[in-house]
Amino acid sequence: MNNPVDITLGREYEGDVGIVAYSDYFCAEPLKFELGGELESFNVRYETYGRLNDDKSNAILVCHALTGDHHAAGVYSLDDRKSGWWNNIIGPNKPLDTNKYFVICSNCIGGCRGTTGPSSINPKTGERYNLSFPAVTLRDMVAVQERLITHLGIKKLAMAIGGSMGGMQCLQWAIDFPDRIGKVCALATTSRQNAQAIAFNEVGRSAIMQDPVWNNGDYKLERVPSVGLGIARMMAHITYLSDKGLEGKFGREQREGQKTPDGKEIFKPSFAIENYLHYQGQSFVNRFDANTYLYFTRALDLFDLRQYGGSLESAFRDMKAKVLVVGFTSDWLFPPAQNREIVKALLRIKKTASYAEIKSDLGHDSFLIHSPKLYKLIEYFLDV
Amino acid sequence: MSEEKTAKTLSKRKVELESISDWVGRGESVLDLGCGRGILLSELMRLKDIYAVGVDSDFDKISRCMKRGVNAYHGDIMDALRTFDDNSFDWIICSRTLPELENAREVVMESLRVARRVAVGFVNHAYWRNRFAEFFTGDRIVNEVFPSRWESSRPMNPISLNSFKEFCKDNDIIINRSRFLRGDWERPCRFWPDMFAGYAVFEISKEKQK
Repeated sequence: MNNPVDITLGREYEGDVGIVAYSDYFCAEPLKFELGGELESFNVRYETYGRLNDDKSNAILVCHALTGDHHAAGVYSLDDRKSGWWNNIIGPNKPLDTNKYFVICSNCIGGCRGTTGPSSINPKTGERYNLSFPAVTLRDMVAVQERLITHLGIKKLAMAIGGSMGGMQCLQWAIDFPDRIGKVCALATTSRQNAQAIAFNEVGRSAIMQDPVWNNGDYKLERVPSVGLGIARMMAHITYLSDKGLEGKFGREQREGQKTPDGKEIFKPSFAIENYLHYQGQSFVNRFDANTYLYFTRALDLFDLRQYGGSLESAFRDMKAKVLVVGFTSDWLFPPAQNREIVKALLRIKKTASYAEIKSDLGHDSFLIHSPKLYKLIEYFLDV
Repeated sequence: MSEEKTAKTLSKRKVELESISDWVGRGESVLDLGCGRGILLSELMRLKDIYAVGVDSDFDKISRCMKRGVNAYHGDIMDALRTFDDNSFDWIICSRTLPELENAREVVMESLRVARRVAVGFVNHAYWRNRFAEFFTGDRIVNEVFPSRWESSRPMNPISLNSFKEFCKDNDIIINRSRFLRGDWERPCRFWPDMFAGYAVFEISKEKQK
């Protein structure tokens, strides 16, 4: 447990959860996957921040997006220069206030950051699962989170919150476990992947699967399909930003060109945006498994809440959680209309739901970025 | 704004809310178009245990609704209305919203489809002080209800009590009840309301309501 009260913090860490460590929950109870397939046992890697109160009613589950992980806040050591991916939201006196709430974030099943996934060793064979790992859906991710919550002794979550794929998990939570969740805060998300989002995922998967190193998923960890995965990330990263955001950050900034450029020179990345994308691709390869990328993007493609009864209304029928959905104006991956649609369906069947839209030039990733408006909204929603 | 003026504005708002909330029955469903900070709806939730949804286009107001625990939909009024089936609400409240709309007729007609009853409240521009101000200055009045002049206020179509009645007649809209308040927005106005009512609320519907 990472309790900020127990850590003596330097001034620069004031308001942060400080030094954190992950935990592992090994579940020996078999897990049946939605589309078939089974794991006899699995591991869930997670982090927690703040203290679980006596009646265990102050737990908030943070659900990560496609390439996120369980390390949502804090640092692993004082030398650690990079804090968790949602450090701006989680901490003492932050919107997810660790003085009041017990915040949990776990790596999704099928992941590559400590929770069992395709790159884990199959205890039966002693080999990595690779493509023998069962197909994962959002429902499977949530089922595993529910196991973790139960393991932690929590009957009912105060709230589940997440953006993008994390938002989908939150909605799935409210559908699958209506009695075990009080509130849902879903950001920059959708009730199903539309054709455009599936299209982008397919380009990413094609880049990976056509990398000869990928070898039908049977690559060695020493030599991963880094070309394919890197390109997949470069492409996907563009969909997380926006024209205006990119223009503002990079514009046409360019290194000095060669005096007599020929084909050998002129195609080398020289624009700032090119170098940025290559850097993004490269650093991603070092922290993410190509097979997990395939499994998770497929889970996203298959996500469609309308599959539960043919309409959103029927999917939401038994839901009890209070819902807040937040869209961002410049998000073109899951545009505001797709966020609105969720709330419209909930209101049509007289549920407790709200929709708010935040003006932002930063595209889909807006939910990850400093936004006092978003903070206030979450704070208000959480405290009522 | 001076303290006195703020108090006056608040009390005016309160009266406006009271006159509408009187009509709403216990446990009914209410959609508020232009819900602002959700004050009316949260009061109705507390007093009458209603199912409430507010619509507003201003983020900060939506944010305030969150604080009050009022369901809020951030967006366009027509977009919100089109979402709902016929008669899916008992009430739609449209308090001081119509003058700011470009498509007021469309909004009223769509409201009458979505709710059994629609409460329309507005400042009567034919109120004598408003007429006088316009007569002498040629401009819309500036007071605690309309604190800013044209250069820093939202565009507004003035509505008069009589023109609203005419609008209802022209569009086969039934006026079930109405309530007129004098310039102080407190005392009821019985005499020549088009001239002496500062604020008016109408309950309108497509079918005759009991």
